[in-house]
Amino acid sequence: MAEYSCLIVEDSPMMRQLLVFALARVKNLRVTEADDGVDGLRKLASARYDIIVTDINMPIMDGLKLVKRVRTDPVHKDTPIVIITTEGSQEDRQRALQLGANAYITKPIQAPQVIATVKELLKIE
Amino acid sequence: MTKDNRSRGTNSDAPSTDLRTERDEVLRKFSRGTQLTEDFVREHERMQGRLQDLESENATLRAKVEADQAVRELLKKIERLESEKSELVSQARQAEAATTEFTARVQEVESEFANLANLFVASNQLHSSLSPRGVTRRIKEVLAQLVGAERYAMYLVNPEGEQLIPIASEGVPGNELVPVRIAGTRIGEVLRKGSASVADSDPSQGTLKDPPAVIPLSVDDRVVGTIAIFSTLAQKNKFDQVDFELFKLLGQHAAQALVAASLFAQAEQKLPGLEAFLDLSV
Repeated sequence: MAEYSCLIVEDSPMMRQLLVFALARVKNLRVTEADDGVDGLRKLASARYDIIVTDINMPIMDGLKLVKRVRTDPVHKDTPIVIITTEGSQEDRQRALQLGANAYITKPIQAPQVIATVKELLKIE
Repeated sequence: MTKDNRSRGTNSDAPSTDLRTERDEVLRKFSRGTQLTEDFVREHERMQGRLQDLESENATLRAKVEADQAVRELLKKIERLESEKSELVSQARQAEAATTEFTARVQEVESEFANLANLFVASNQLHSSLSPRGVTRRIKEVLAQLVGAERYAMYLVNPEGEQLIPIASEGVPGNELVPVRIAGTRIGEVLRKGSASVADSDPSQGTLKDPPAVIPLSVDDRVVGTIAIFSTLAQKNKFDQVDFELFKLLGQHAAQALVAASLFAQAEQKLPGLEAFLDLSV
């Protein structure tokens, strides 16, 4: 069975922990955590990931900048990206989708929704 | 021929009466025999025809009987197949029902797991800091990220026990963030009774005057403050079971974590010595 790797980019330790718990329910998915966009890029430079889940609002480098940078990275330019937004930030969501994000999840996040979105993008049954 | 001979011959050729009678009789009988033979032949032919007809009829009947037999066998087979089909359909329905039940159960378990994960993460985060600011930030994070609160404030009761003083908030204008009297207010009522007050209405439409949820904060069975959620995010239009569990968890752990962090800060981050744990008698 194929193994998948996921990079979670989220500055909130609580949200990271919640996402890790949720994605632990997806079989054969290895999860790596990054604190912010810069840390995320560092981890993307050192390994190949099959999917990226990123928050939009983060210090140092936000999710929009990260999406833009990932789409210019030859290794990850086609890697699916899921963004996490709040309902009120429709502009951010639209901008992220225009920059190349593949899906979005609104807060407060629900584990089943996170699992379903990641499975769909990875085409896992 | 002589005349005599002719006369003799005539006389000798002419049969006697007896003979003629006998001849006629033979001829009659012969004719009768011929008639009978012809009749017999006709009858024989008729009988042959009849026999052929009967044989043909017999063959037709036999074929019909065989066909009827085949039809009966086919009908029996159809009946058996119909029975098997009914049984299979019944089994398929049972399997479908079992699958539906199983799927529902899996979803229920997944949902329960997600709720437990939320509670675990919230509890874990509340106790993962020993600075008052860190604990406050985590309480706010639980409210914002897990409950979906958009505007909220946390109050602690003043030493006189008359007012609730706001110590942290989000989305509330500064001029609105004022001490709340315990007497005669809904937030104060929750403090006095020690039980949460959650409205049935859409919490995203809540107001500062009418918060959809007010939670008491306890330390060792003493109610020391409240959290008031004034409104939630637009997509959060009702509180779920897990929210009520989170309210309970916040009520029991938020103030305790805050008090523990304050005491630790007052002790200048010094851990108590071993002697502090020696007389616990457990």
